[in-house]
Amino acid sequence: MFKKILIANRGEIACRVMKTAKKMGIKTVAVYSEADKDSMHVLMADEGVCIGPAASKESYLVIDKIIAACKATGAEAVHPGYGFLSENEEFSRRLEDNGIIFVGPKHYSVAAMGDKIASKKLAIEAKVNTIPGYNAEITDSAQAVEIAKGIGYPVMIKASAGGGGKGLRVAFDDKEAFEGFEACRNEARNSFGDDRVFIEKFVEGPHHIEIQLIADSFGNTVYLLERECSIQRRHQKVLEEAPSPFIDDTIRKAMGEQAVALAKAVNYQSAGTVEFVVGSDKSFYFLEMNTRLQVEHPVTEMITGVDLVELMIRVAAGEPLPFKQEDIKANGWAIECRINAEDPFRGFLPSVGRLVKYRPPEAVEGQVRVDTGVFEGGEISMYYDSMIAKLICHGATRDQAIVRLRDALNAFVIRGIDSNIPFQAALMQNPRFLSGVFTTAFIAEEYPDGFVASDVVHDDPGLLAAVGAFGRRRYIDRAVQVSGQMAGHHRKVGSEWVVQMEGKDYPVVVTPIAGGYSVTHGDDRYDLVSDWKFGELVFHGTCNGVPLCLQLERIGLLYRVVHFGKQVKVTVMTANAARMLALMPKKVPPDLSKFLLSPMPGLLREVSVEEGQQVSAGEKLAVIEAMKMENVLKAERDCKVKKVVTPAGESLSVDQVILEFE
Amino acid sequence: MHDIIRQLAEKRAAACLGGGQKRIDDQHSKGKLSARERIELLLDSGSFEEWDMFKEHRCNDFGMADRSVPGDGVVIGCGTINGRLMFVFSQDFTVFGGALSEAHAEKICKVMDHAIKVGAPVIGLNDSGGARIQEGVASLAGYADVFQRNVLASGVVPQISLIMGPCAGGAVYSPSMTDFIFMVKDSSYMFVTGPEVVKTVTHEDVTAEELGGAITHTSRSGVADLAFENDVEALMMVRRFISFLPSNNREKPPRLPSQDPADRLDFSLDTLVPDNTNSPYNIKELIIKVADDGDFFELQREYAKNIVIGFARMDGSAVGIVANQPLVLAGCLDIKSSIKAARFVRYCDAFNIPVVTFVDVPGFMPGTAQEYGGIIKHGAKLLYAYAECTVPKITVITRKAYGGAYDVMASKHLRGDVNFAWPSAEIAVMGPKGAVEIIFREEKNDPAKLAAREAEYKAKFANPFVAGARGFIDDVIMPNETRKRICRSLAMLRNKQLENPWRKHGNIPL
Repeated sequence: MFKKILIANRGEIACRVMKTAKKMGIKTVAVYSEADKDSMHVLMADEGVCIGPAASKESYLVIDKIIAACKATGAEAVHPGYGFLSENEEFSRRLEDNGIIFVGPKHYSVAAMGDKIASKKLAIEAKVNTIPGYNAEITDSAQAVEIAKGIGYPVMIKASAGGGGKGLRVAFDDKEAFEGFEACRNEARNSFGDDRVFIEKFVEGPHHIEIQLIADSFGNTVYLLERECSIQRRHQKVLEEAPSPFIDDTIRKAMGEQAVALAKAVNYQSAGTVEFVVGSDKSFYFLEMNTRLQVEHPVTEMITGVDLVELMIRVAAGEPLPFKQEDIKANGWAIECRINAEDPFRGFLPSVGRLVKYRPPEAVEGQVRVDTGVFEGGEISMYYDSMIAKLICHGATRDQAIVRLRDALNAFVIRGIDSNIPFQAALMQNPRFLSGVFTTAFIAEEYPDGFVASDVVHDDPGLLAAVGAFGRRRYIDRAVQVSGQMAGHHRKVGSEWVVQMEGKDYPVVVTPIAGGYSVTHGDDRYDLVSDWKFGELVFHGTCNGVPLCLQLERIGLLYRVVHFGKQVKVTVMTANAARMLALMPKKVPPDLSKFLLSPMPGLLREVSVEEGQQVSAGEKLAVIEAMKMENVLKAERDCKVKKVVTPAGESLSVDQVILEFE
Repeated sequence: MHDIIRQLAEKRAAACLGGGQKRIDDQHSKGKLSARERIELLLDSGSFEEWDMFKEHRCNDFGMADRSVPGDGVVIGCGTINGRLMFVFSQDFTVFGGALSEAHAEKICKVMDHAIKVGAPVIGLNDSGGARIQEGVASLAGYADVFQRNVLASGVVPQISLIMGPCAGGAVYSPSMTDFIFMVKDSSYMFVTGPEVVKTVTHEDVTAEELGGAITHTSRSGVADLAFENDVEALMMVRRFISFLPSNNREKPPRLPSQDPADRLDFSLDTLVPDNTNSPYNIKELIIKVADDGDFFELQREYAKNIVIGFARMDGSAVGIVANQPLVLAGCLDIKSSIKAARFVRYCDAFNIPVVTFVDVPGFMPGTAQEYGGIIKHGAKLLYAYAECTVPKITVITRKAYGGAYDVMASKHLRGDVNFAWPSAEIAVMGPKGAVEIIFREEKNDPAKLAAREAEYKAKFANPFVAGARGFIDDVIMPNETRKRICRSLAMLRNKQLENPWRKHGNIPL
């Protein structure tokens, strides 16, 4: 076995690989860019080597620097993680030339699978299902119909030069194929000046399902079941699970065996993934093979009990696989949520800055796993991927895994930057997701206009109100213990309160019970027990004896409650105060559509317009430099600049006014 | 006897209506609560004891003899906030627009006299159109009587003013001499002369809101400490605020049982100060992370943002916090920030509240605007305040402490009791670049040489050790242990005794 390996990656995956290496008694070497010098993976490693400036192409992607780092530290092998150099044929070859072992497949396997057309050819030879199609030029409609018939309906008729939905038709019968071909060819000629058209099988209701496999150098190749990755946002996976709620054992076995056949065809060694698209009729077709460890590998690990990184290292060190295909059985269900530094309510814009608070939920062996690459007080920079952690929960059933994920998401505290936790929590409540019936179009269909706060519904708002009342009452119970009171004239705390939440009043009665308060609202009663204290963000306790985990925080006079992705700010006051508050004028928030607000903190590098200038939609208004990135703010519509409120050169905070329009 | 009791009940009911239900409704329609409703929200429910409910004015001119309302436009008395004694006056806009008469002033003086006598805070809820013109000089005399008591109470009992309606002309000077002024947005304003006079004299067109509204006074003039959305929020926040203040100058600040461990470490603070000494960071993160429960009651947060002031609790006891804010103007001291912090430090000193100072200051702000504005004198106020201050003083230098500003910010030399520095501290006359350009002036055309000098200077001075070697820094501490070390120091200093030489009063550079 190796004595020392180098991990040519950063973030959570570098940490995850090191964890296994440590468990195996292997010393670890981290490489890091200047921007990453205080990062978690550097702190975790036994040694670290700085490999250059922040930009990946000057650091993590420079093969020479990594080889030099191996030589300088005496690392015998390199684990590439995912991304960066993990599927770079040259990297793996250069390592080999330098006598360093690449913990991954051989370079020829990487090369064979790296090319789309070549890999499809290989797949066909290995008798792997591929999307049927006709790639040669089609001359007329009659021929098109013949081809379509041969493939089997429905088919997709596509212009070679097509894109953006133009020059694309789906045909379900001969007539549609006949007409579709003509229409498509005309459109292609007019739009792209290229009338070449081809036809392939149209996969209806597509699922993205992939087979994880592992192969050793003795010809043993085992598939470790599948992962369902259909929950994607703009082709980026958001959430993955294993097994897939969609396929059955027969399909699973067929997919697994085809994946193994493909791996054998390229003499594959190490961990790899064969991606398939699966139609609503359960027909499946090969898409591509990823010759590396994947982000979502933990779900496979949790249901099969294997450590994929350990296996990769052992295989690379020349050991045989310790199990056979028949040993692999799925145990329960696992789901992974990717935790990204992005603002789901602002179109998933990446969020960078200091992690003022970062408290992932507690890991529980076999139930809750957190793969993280950041720590409280760390900095999220804009140079790298926005994924900062992965939360994986396991359960005996899919439902149990979901329940555990909900709780874990409730306890996940991130402050200072925005995260997609509200979005993940909302998914955990989405009826279609819960039913397990969804396709790759799920997010586009469920959130057609993006994700907005009203997409998060809580089925028991009374609970949120009760928790607010709990916070307020706990505050008062402490406030009345202040020193210097008039003897015998202590404050009498009433039990009738009003919670105001999202424009609605919830009259509640709050009475102390052991370890907490009983809050009744109409016929609903919530006995809340928790040792939650001020300054703590996570409320662990029970409601009517059932475990409850959520976030509760005091902000001025408000209490912020976060549960199942729902965030509310509530005020709690006596009935009398609520009556008086009702007399107060409702202040209309100022109309901000007439202002250009800074979407991020940064430096106002340039104001590109002058007062009184007429600008048209799309025109550049200002440039903000944030994290060394220039962000151009453009006019959303035609308007006239009334006033330049903030001059160039000033530093900006979020939502600071830059321009005022007429 | 029965008759008298019935009469009493009738008189009470009449007095409670002030200027009548119609005027109360008017008040509500303006988004304002009535004088008594305000007291009800401010004090513990049922704790208010009213005095002088039946007091009336004695004016006979201009038909006033027939127009008398029991209480005469102000409600006074005492009650409790979380069981602690408070004195309150609340002007009643429904009675003669809350205008101040001789009798009205006498009532205010009465609560103030009591407050001074028994040592409890005075909270004034201001909502008054000004002097009772019909009374002439008697009304003016009334103002002056109140002013005099404001001054006598200053530094003896806390005085808090809530501006909840108009407050113009001479009336502004009573709140202005109290310790803290809170205003309500959109319904309160304060100015010496109103928009009409301004228009005739200076030809400026300005609304009352722009001239003296809550936003103006909390962000531009610095007259007021905080602005609240409405009456209810303002009153509830005052309840919270008062929990930080002792009842008088003989008491220690109040304590709340703390559930937050005094020895809590916070490792995220180890990465708070960026590597680049010119990069900003938010000092409030440090304050929130060291304070009990992360609870920091900031004052004047929209004014002179380059310095942060406010109250927090450490291990249950209230402390005053002063901190340079590197996010704004690099945290430098200028006229506004010096005055803001100086007044706060003096307040803490007057009321036995320990002062915790976080220092990251590159120096005083340069420029003609500052010099012509009198930065010398105003900067001296902060220096004077710290030097005069005898309460426990704990200082933590997080990064820069350059030049005269180092001396000013609660340095050892100004009787700082415990002075800590983080490893990132740089205590020097000025930053490396500036220093080298002066010391090695003759090498200024040789950038290579200068760079070498700069590195040399950095190695020598850009650290806490030079000051540590002289004992100006008691210890270099890890950022993560800041709370623990401050709490221990405060405990150690609990019985600190230090007195300045006797004098009538010092002569602070006003």
